[in-house]
Amino acid sequence: MPPGLDNLKHIVVLMMENRSFDHMLGSLKAQDPRIDGLTGNESNPDTTGATIKVQPQAEFQSQLDPDPDHHFPAVDLQIFNGDNSDPRVANMQGFVKSYFNQQHDVPHSAKIMYYFTPEKLPVLSTLATEFAVFNGWFSSIPGPTVCNRAFAHYGTSFGQVSMDIFYVLEPYKSIYERMIAANPAHTAKIYYYDQASSTIEIVNLLQHQPNLFATYDQFLADCKAGRLPDYSFVEPNYSDHDGDNGEEVASDQHPDHNVQAGELFIASVYNAIKQNPTLWASTALLIVYDEHGGIHDHVPPPACMPDGFVAQPNDTGTGRAFAFDRLGIRVPAVLVSPWVPKGTVVSGRTFEHASIPATVTKFFLGDYDQRSPREKAADTFLDLLSLPVMRTDGPDFQTD
Amino acid sequence: MAVIKVPKPPQSAFDKNRPVSALLRNQILHLHEVERKFPPSRHSGVYINDIKTEGEAAAYIRKVTARLHPQGAKPATFDIAAAGETRSKSRTKRKPTGKKS
Repeated sequence: MPPGLDNLKHIVVLMMENRSFDHMLGSLKAQDPRIDGLTGNESNPDTTGATIKVQPQAEFQSQLDPDPDHHFPAVDLQIFNGDNSDPRVANMQGFVKSYFNQQHDVPHSAKIMYYFTPEKLPVLSTLATEFAVFNGWFSSIPGPTVCNRAFAHYGTSFGQVSMDIFYVLEPYKSIYERMIAANPAHTAKIYYYDQASSTIEIVNLLQHQPNLFATYDQFLADCKAGRLPDYSFVEPNYSDHDGDNGEEVASDQHPDHNVQAGELFIASVYNAIKQNPTLWASTALLIVYDEHGGIHDHVPPPACMPDGFVAQPNDTGTGRAFAFDRLGIRVPAVLVSPWVPKGTVVSGRTFEHASIPATVTKFFLGDYDQRSPREKAADTFLDLLSLPVMRTDGPDFQTD
Repeated sequence: MAVIKVPKPPQSAFDKNRPVSALLRNQILHLHEVERKFPPSRHSGVYINDIKTEGEAAAYIRKVTARLHPQGAKPATFDIAAAGETRSKSRTKRKPTGKKS
């Protein structure tokens, strides 16, 4: 076993909100052509037939307002550009049309093609180039938050393609329940930001197993004290609200929340781990986004292993059933560890959110049969901790 | 590698009067579904259709989450500040401005 895996004791996943790969990291292609980002010539037609090219004009806030539609029918339009024939080809040509549908404002609809330059995202861009960036990490469903986050927790959404409440079906269990029920038992926690932000995993986990949860303050304390669980899932702040000591700015990067606040939050999670040398040497941190948020990406989502569930036409809103046999749109994903070679670009492999419980299960629990077909088929990522000697050159972020 | 200074968002980034997003609206609905199972004495008393802003959503979410997970309100059993990674250093928090929602 590589020394990085011999030393690995903790896996931490930070899941942000609603930004596509090209929007956040596509500009890195200019620095490193191995990164499957933007050449600057990618385009979509607008509703007048004009060609709208991608442009490096993304702003931190007040640009993607209203929130771009990312529910199942809208994402279907974004991927297939309204082609409803059978079979049909994903061409990623419907983003501008989809955004136009919300305000019927042609100039505004072009903003869905905007992307950030690396200078505007010093944290995510630096981590992507210093550690491992995934060219092919896709959201699990061409749809919204709740069903996509379900794949990170359960390896399936139990047939759900929307934001509605879903219920866990036997025999599948969350990765947290698998961990604490193992023999010998492992430890796992979901760290939500604070009680006013709470968690997205309410109905199944928070309601019935509050012992699985803790706050972000506790995460910081656990990092410092060396008490981090084997597996940690961190949720950002989902709202602007008054906290106990002042204003809390949403850090999830969900449009129209401020992207810089999310950068600070990512840096905070990274710093908390890195500032404890023992923890830094024994932790892998995955930073990933739940879905693309309706924002342009140029890579067609690939077909995938069907999940054993079928969403009916009334549920998808497209007139078509969906067998969970195609992934959602590509999202940013970065793996951070001092055992990852600098400048790793993960190419030629496909990951999705079911890769998270698949990886955690494989590393901590080994063989585990009661998992969804999608999770069983999902690629895992700890092989990227391949260095024979630990690095000592990771970046430091100043956040005060 | 040089230390990278991470810019803070401007003061104007904070807007608790921003209309609730679909994400927050669904989070409210999920919490409301759970709250309905509480005995009446533990209900929040909030009529969720009146929730229009992020600040109002957060107030409701805090109330129900506190009932589901009261441990989330407890101070840490050790000194977080002494532990090094303080909230004020690491997160985008500001002093109260007295703005009303």
